[in-house]
Amino acid sequence: MWILYTFPPGRGSFYPRCVFHATTGLLCPGCGTTHALHELLHGQFGAAFKSNPFFFAVMLAGVYAAPSLLRGEQPPLFMKTWFAWTCFAVTMAWWIGRNIF
Amino acid sequence: MNCPNCGTTNLDNASICVNCGRPLSSAGGYTPPPPPAPAPSAAYTPPPTPTGVVPVQIPNYLWQSIVVTLCCCLPLGIVGIIFAAQVNDKIRQGDIAGAMEASKNAKKWTLIGFIVGIVAQVIIWALYSAAILSAIHSGQFNR
Repeated sequence: MWILYTFPPGRGSFYPRCVFHATTGLLCPGCGTTHALHELLHGQFGAAFKSNPFFFAVMLAGVYAAPSLLRGEQPPLFMKTWFAWTCFAVTMAWWIGRNIF
Repeated sequence: MNCPNCGTTNLDNASICVNCGRPLSSAGGYTPPPPPAPAPSAAYTPPPTPTGVVPVQIPNYLWQSIVVTLCCCLPLGIVGIIFAAQVNDKIRQGDIAGAMEASKNAKKWTLIGFIVGIVAQVIIWALYSAAILSAIHSGQFNR
């Protein structure tokens, strides 16, 4: 947390790097998560959202799922067929879309 | 009967919830009839599991796959998401064996994605460190 707050991610930083981005130059669905976390800790919600809106969606799902997961159960929504396929579709759309636009 | 986990109404003789896959048993102690035994085959079949064992929920590894995808472990996490969706599909169709199989695949690919991601991370970190060290060594940072 403190490390994330203090040191901005960017070129030449020590943070884990995206292998996909390093090898292909394209962005992966998770690219920008470290930036988003850093900006969130500084209260810059707009900048964080810009860095990776997909991460926000995953966080929302995480907030929903946390109580079930902590009880060792599977969140009911996660077991719905439409939800799983939506996750897949959103991930793919986001991954392809962010590299085109 | 209603599922104790998600509240979905299921058929009275359902052994698992059509929505979340949790095993169902009614309060009256009624146990659902076992599925029809497969036809005996010449091939060796493992001994049946002891009766009375509570069937476990079939995990679909959906959130693990999403985390692996988000943490940039290559597109392998997405394979995990596909298998997770198949687990849900098959549970809904009542295909328990198929769901178990998809669950195994989801676990496998999520794990592969995670391990490959970590290994690739270490390699790339080593490469960058080497590049930075050589840059320092050759005096590029001395202004």
